[in-house]
Amino acid sequence: MFFRLLMESFRRQRRRKMLAGVAILLGTTAVTAMLALATTIGDRIHKELAVYGANIVVYPKADLLDVKVGGVDLKPASGGAYLKESELAKLKTIFWGNNITGVSPELPALMAIARKAGDPLIAVNAVGYWFDHDFNTFKTGAPTLHPWWRLEGSWPIPRSNPDSRSVVVGTNLAKKLGLKIGDTFVTQGTQSAPSSRLTAIVAGIVTTGGEEDNEILLTLHDAQAYVGANDAVRRVEVSARTKPEDAFARVDPDSLSPKQREIWYCRPYANSIAYQIREAIPGAQAEQVRRVEQSEGNVLKRISGLMWLISAAALLAAGFAVSAAMATAILERRGEIGLMRSLGASKGSIALLFYAEAGLLALIAGTIGYLLGSGLAAWLGARIFAGDGVAAEAVLIPVLLPVVVALALVVAIAGSSPSIRTALRMDPSTILREDA
Amino acid sequence: MTVSEVKVVTGPLADPTGSTRDDCAVIALKHVTREYAGHGGVVRALGDATFSIVAGEWVAITGPSGSGKSTLVNLIGCLDRPTAGELKIDNVDTASMSATELDRFRADKIGFIFQQFHLIPYLSALENVMLAQYFHSMTDEAEARAALVRVGLGDRVSHVPSELSGGEQQRVCIARALINNPPILLADEPTGNLDAANQKIVAELLQDLHRNGHTIVMVTHDPEMAGLAQRRIALSHGQVFCHPVSGPMVTLRRSTDRL
Ligand SMILES: Nc1ncnc2c1ncn2[C@@H]1O[C@H](COP(=O)(O)OP(=O)(O)O)[C@@H](O)[C@H]1O
Ligand SMILES: [Mg+2]
Repeated sequence: MFFRLLMESFRRQRRRKMLAGVAILLGTTAVTAMLALATTIGDRIHKELAVYGANIVVYPKADLLDVKVGGVDLKPASGGAYLKESELAKLKTIFWGNNITGVSPELPALMAIARKAGDPLIAVNAVGYWFDHDFNTFKTGAPTLHPWWRLEGSWPIPRSNPDSRSVVVGTNLAKKLGLKIGDTFVTQGTQSAPSSRLTAIVAGIVTTGGEEDNEILLTLHDAQAYVGANDAVRRVEVSARTKPEDAFARVDPDSLSPKQREIWYCRPYANSIAYQIREAIPGAQAEQVRRVEQSEGNVLKRISGLMWLISAAALLAAGFAVSAAMATAILERRGEIGLMRSLGASKGSIALLFYAEAGLLALIAGTIGYLLGSGLAAWLGARIFAGDGVAAEAVLIPVLLPVVVALALVVAIAGSSPSIRTALRMDPSTILREDA
Repeated sequence: MTVSEVKVVTGPLADPTGSTRDDCAVIALKHVTREYAGHGGVVRALGDATFSIVAGEWVAITGPSGSGKSTLVNLIGCLDRPTAGELKIDNVDTASMSATELDRFRADKIGFIFQQFHLIPYLSALENVMLAQYFHSMTDEAEARAALVRVGLGDRVSHVPSELSGGEQQRVCIARALINNPPILLADEPTGNLDAANQKIVAELLQDLHRNGHTIVMVTHDPEMAGLAQRRIALSHGQVFCHPVSGPMVTLRRSTDRL
């Protein structure tokens, strides 16, 4: 009987229920979209902010006294110690290894070049990089960590001919020397044999807005061969997905109790990851690059704050709309309430009936709202983070369904509660008398 | 002449064991007053009513519009509480009951028949009857169907109220009032909205119920309907004029037969 009553009365007053239903639907649509975006936004913003560079930089411990944290000034290649390229594979093995999204080792060198044989030599900075290096499950290198670098042509091609090297020239340097893609010029063979010469072929010209515009970019292997230091790396930039920094992130892990230290270690703070890198690679110093890390955290915090605000506002508005729609809907049915009271129905059993009706409405509207909101999130995601390759179906998050439906229930029940209570407080004899 | 001044007249019902009329009263009012706080001060809808109704009695309540008839019926039906005075139904003081107990009591003891029928518009005749079962205890479709057959609506069970005539709707209302077999039936102008033919059908049903031992309190304007009752209580401006029992009681105890 309860369900018969529920279903029959649910089908009544379509206009009013439609109104309340649409309010719940819009509210849950907004909330679903916000929640779906919020859960994926961390990844997406990280990707966007990766534009600003690495968040961890690794260099030899021996440089500690000389190099500023995150400093870009590179010492002459002859000075200081090196890290081993072969040991970078160990980055994959650290606790948060899977959070590492980019690795870019560098080896700088001072090189003498000339436009053609016989011309006077000029000294330029050259830096060896990975360009499209197979690292674990992804390809990485300088271009992925510096997505703002604009290249004409192609990145240096690993050498096939021992007498020539493929290079990319910074835009300013190229202008100065009158170099175009496909041109050749003469470079010093190696550091240890200053008089030997190699031909360099310009594979591409790069514009970075930084030092690189005046430099020569070559493969790490070529740089190592030139410097005469096999396997050597001067500095490594690492990009990792991290948890925004908080007070606990900044503590010195060695001052913590073993249990606390364990907790600290197992959180993906940039500091913890840097710590794990120091552990994994002997002789390495790893530091987080603060500026980027913090702005990322701040942006995330502000955006999620805004999303919570929008969600709360949407639900509140839905609650008021439901309240208004239910007030008239229940007022219209006070005759039924009076009759039920005369049959001996308790206030509780009548309230249950009306709440069940509101709940059913919430269930339907909430489910549709969830689907619409997921679609909205996919659409918004595609517009805000255009072309970052996150598939639309990644936004249909099943765990959100019960959350959203529960919120819809809360809104519907809270919204209809005032009018249900008012109706039940009315005197049944008065209702039955007036309902002539 | 108000009841406070006049001792309630007892009928020739006192049985040989010596119990008085008040002892077998199923409804007993003592100085019952109901006042409403209106805009223009306090309205006394019912003032100082004292009388009793015994089990199986059929009482007609008459009086002009606004004289407090519905107020009295609603008080007896425990839909409303007196502002002052004592109201006992089945020897239980209603003032001592909580709101929830009163709901339960109403479900068990009272069947309402309304002038406006008050059927749920989106439920069929059968479901309207079953609704009373639902709020009382459990639904029993066969029993509800039998009740509709009993009031002559066996072929209209699946019709919704808008598909039924006024007389048919009132018969559904009567079937609903009877379905839980309550001892007391309260009918507030049951034939007020009916034509002569349907009034006759309802009158016959009420007579039948009276024969089966139901206590009936019926508000009516119609002298013919009032004449069917054994006793008439006249109201005027909220004051009760008690009429003596008009004839011997057919029975004191209603039969336990279900309809
Ligand atoms: N809820 C109420 N509030 C104020 N006055 C009421 C209320 N109910 C009834 N009354 C007044 O009480 C008096 C008796 O009403 P009622 O019992 O409905 O009369 P009847 O049924 O005899 O026509 C009327 O004057 C009516 O206006
Ligand atoms: Mg009336």
